[in-house]
Amino acid sequence: MSTMLIAVILLTLLALFFGVLLGFAALKFKVEGNPIVDELEAILPQTQCGQCGYPGCRPYAEAIANGDKVNKCPPGGTATMEKLASLMGVEPEPLNAEAQSQVKKVAYIREDECIGCTKCIQACPVDAIIGAGKLMHTVLTADCTGCDLCVEPCPVDCIDMIPVGQNLKNWNWRLNAIPVTLIQETPHEEKRG
Amino acid sequence: MLTLLDQLDKGTLWRSPGGIHPPEVKFLSNTTPISQLPLAQEYLVPVPQVGENCTLAVKVGDKVLKGTPLTQGTSIWHLPVHAPTSGTVVAIEPRASNHASALPVNTCVIAADGEDRWCELTPGSIELSNHEIIAKIHGAGIAGMGGAAFPSHIKLNPVSEIELVIINGVECEPYISADDRLMREYSQDILAGIGIIHRLLAPKRIVIAIEDNKPEAIKAMQQAVSHSTLPTGSTRVTVIPTKYPSGGEKQLIQIITGREVPSGSIPAKLGIVVHNVGTAFAIHQAVTQGKPLIERVVTVTGQNVGKPGNYWLPIGTPVEHVLKHTEFHAEADQKVIIGGPMMGHALPTIQVPILKGTNCILVPSSQEIGTTPEEKACIRCGECANACPALLLPQQLFWHAKAEEYDKAASYNLKDCIECGCCSYVCPSDIPLVEYYRIAKSALKQAADEKHQAERAKLRFEARIQRLEEEKLAREAKAKEAAARRQATMTSTDKNAVAEAMARIAAKKAAAAETTADNTPVEVVAADASSTEAPKGKAAVAAAIARAKAKKAAAAAQGADEAESSQQAVSSVQTASSEPSEPTEQSESLSQKDKVAAAIARAKAKKAALKADSDANGDTDIATDNTDKPATETTANAEVDDKKAKVAAAVARAKAKKAAAQQAESSEVTEVLPEHTADAKPESTNDSDDESGNKSSLDAEPSASLSPEDEKKAKVAAAVARAKAKKAAAQQAESSEVTEVLPEHTADAKPELNDESGNKSDSATDLNAPLSPEDEKKAKVAAAVARAKAKKAAAQQVESTEVAEVQPELVADAKPESTNVSGNELSSATEPSASLSPEDEKKAKVAAAVARAKAKKAAREANANSDANE
Repeated sequence: MSTMLIAVILLTLLALFFGVLLGFAALKFKVEGNPIVDELEAILPQTQCGQCGYPGCRPYAEAIANGDKVNKCPPGGTATMEKLASLMGVEPEPLNAEAQSQVKKVAYIREDECIGCTKCIQACPVDAIIGAGKLMHTVLTADCTGCDLCVEPCPVDCIDMIPVGQNLKNWNWRLNAIPVTLIQETPHEEKRG
Repeated sequence: MLTLLDQLDKGTLWRSPGGIHPPEVKFLSNTTPISQLPLAQEYLVPVPQVGENCTLAVKVGDKVLKGTPLTQGTSIWHLPVHAPTSGTVVAIEPRASNHASALPVNTCVIAADGEDRWCELTPGSIELSNHEIIAKIHGAGIAGMGGAAFPSHIKLNPVSEIELVIINGVECEPYISADDRLMREYSQDILAGIGIIHRLLAPKRIVIAIEDNKPEAIKAMQQAVSHSTLPTGSTRVTVIPTKYPSGGEKQLIQIITGREVPSGSIPAKLGIVVHNVGTAFAIHQAVTQGKPLIERVVTVTGQNVGKPGNYWLPIGTPVEHVLKHTEFHAEADQKVIIGGPMMGHALPTIQVPILKGTNCILVPSSQEIGTTPEEKACIRCGECANACPALLLPQQLFWHAKAEEYDKAASYNLKDCIECGCCSYVCPSDIPLVEYYRIAKSALKQAADEKHQAERAKLRFEARIQRLEEEKLAREAKAKEAAARRQATMTSTDKNAVAEAMARIAAKKAAAAETTADNTPVEVVAADASSTEAPKGKAAVAAAIARAKAKKAAAAAQGADEAESSQQAVSSVQTASSEPSEPTEQSESLSQKDKVAAAIARAKAKKAALKADSDANGDTDIATDNTDKPATETTANAEVDDKKAKVAAAVARAKAKKAAAQQAESSEVTEVLPEHTADAKPESTNDSDDESGNKSSLDAEPSASLSPEDEKKAKVAAAVARAKAKKAAAQQAESSEVTEVLPEHTADAKPELNDESGNKSDSATDLNAPLSPEDEKKAKVAAAVARAKAKKAAAQQVESTEVAEVQPELVADAKPESTNVSGNELSSATEPSASLSPEDEKKAKVAAAVARAKAKKAAREANANSDANE
């Protein structure tokens, strides 16, 4: 009888001890926010373009963490979508055709047409446009994310999105590769027919 | 156990892993001394060559001498480039680059004048300090001559203790003999250069490493060392066995010292610096003679060159020129390779210049190189892993690079691949492994760049968000401060301002009371007439009375039965009731002149009531009795006006809001108006008439400019309107003072009213006139506001179309003075906009936008009003 009692008491004490330990740990090592959001955000291209329907990359990362689709980021392309899908453990979904053929672009202001309205400066999410009221504006191409957000507000349509050209820095050796064409094998049945 | 230095002195060598022994073809070019080629017509000098940012020191058309710097830069990474010969800068434009891609880069094209005249050189001396020597080397634009073209002055400015300097004379590429010939012919100069390096770095040992396939060079260098002034025992020539790629920096360090440079590290971390023999020669030239690096020894070799050998080629010499003067004969599918056969790259075009790192032009025949065999499947034989000097696993790298799993390839230390080509050389399946690695490397680099840029973008985005937040807070704080200041000044000004504000509210209330009385103006007249008895010129009292009016309206209606009250009184009351509503409705956005006009009109109304009151006084005893009390009450109120001053601002704002509601009521009133005023004096209708006339006349403008909306602008417009309302309160105070004097002048109301209406318009234009020149911006905004008003009026017009229809007739009946007024007002309203449009297109746009926004708002309000009406 006493052995049983001892066992019960011992187990109760143990349970209490570990309960307190776990409770303490839960408070001490509490994680603020959802850590998956940070990981998702690190994958996103940070263009802050809003093409996903959210005001910036972090809101979209939060939305994905809450179960939104992973194929809403055209600037990131298929590679980003695949990374997001693997991180979230969901099936990769194809981007729309338009987004897939996206090339990196940067904004260019035709400076002699700029009236200095500062609307594009206000629209730029990364402060990559410099200029002042009634003075010409220009784009810091190194900082431009190519998000297109400055094109819409321009009252004189002097902003172009220009694809980033090849230079010695970003040249890809693959460009010299001989293009391989795939020849479709025609089935024998059709030949006979 | 021997120390490293002892082992160096003994000449102990270590074995470097991997490596291959390709057939040596140095005999093609190493038998003839280094010679010169005739000057080219044009030299193509890419600017900048090393380092990203620089400014051009010359412009098109400039005459340059041999050695003139073409670029200037501030960055430590920038290396100046110099004119390779004397001549004229004929173009600075993108030209094909000496790169596997041949992508165009900015190139300074110099047309040689044939004189090849040096610019003034400043030879250095032994007295120079280390810092000056390094500056001289930097200024001479000396880059590593081994092929990588790393700025030499950085390697000569050690951040850590340097124990060992290795002078690289290995030259392991099978075809190249440029360093070989240089060591044979210029060993003394190279040693002098080594002396300078020794002085700058003060190493414990200097080892000149030469492969054993260059016995003449070894001999020449050993002789030079024995004759040199360097401390004995500090410098030695070490002969290393021939093996490709012993000349690689890391491989050479491993052979000489047995130590491996860690991945991602630099030799300087181990206390070792490696310089090429060509660099040592160039340092000597730069420091002792002041000659910048404008030419170098280039091996021109291959079986398709008639005169293979080594040549002093100025930097910027077109490859085409070199080939032409070395009796090059092309064959079908001729390849021109820059660099050696192992690590070089084929040129897509020969219109490219010789660069600082170009050590060889190889034009092989088809027997030498052969056609690229077809790539076969990897059989996992592991030959490549044996050959790899960097101890990588080429087959794994290839596997992942081919599958485009670049991150996995990176996990196999792809970045440590030196692209020596050993793996491709030994591959039995003829797989161009290095090509795959280059693709993978560029893809990884691009991914890294994108990631870096994304991080930057994120930082900038967050910084922007923070900045906007701070700006918002600052703005709020400023607004708060301004409000506090305004309040402070308000309390100190005339109490009449407050009183006037109160009066306006009262007037509004009266209007409301009247509508509740529902078309029984007579009752209100009684109330008005009785109440207006009390004021004796004091605006404060007037205000109090006006308020009292509202309260009394009901009682007065019950007690009094003044059907006989004069029609003049009726009309005056009508104006009193209709006008306050109109000015208040306008006051939310009205310009200052309109404010004044409204004030005058109200004062008039009061006066008229006063006059009517004297007529009706006898009949309305009860009413007067009633009004006595409130009048005194409100004078008491006026004494406590300090508090109200604070309220005034709020009231003004409230007015704006109420205006819409008021409008609904006033429209009813104005509907009634025509009937009454038809018999009554036309002046009373003039005021309402003017405004409606204005509205209708201006109607067309805004509708024309009505176009897509902008929420922000609407907000701005609203803010402007509110500001105006506040300002109007202050203005009201002044104008009330003016109008207070008026009653004393005239006993007869009729002509006086006309005068006032005339005054009104005058003052309106007067006010407007000093405004527009005063400040362009304000004028613009005012114009926009005026236009917006007109639009709003138009919206209101929709509701009170009946009024508008009746009014033209009334205008016809009305006295000419009144129409003048409307005309004046019209012109004053349109003037600013007219003067604006030519002035500045942009401003006009802004104004239009504001006006549009107002129009939108007005429409919305109008809808609300009409709803309320119904």
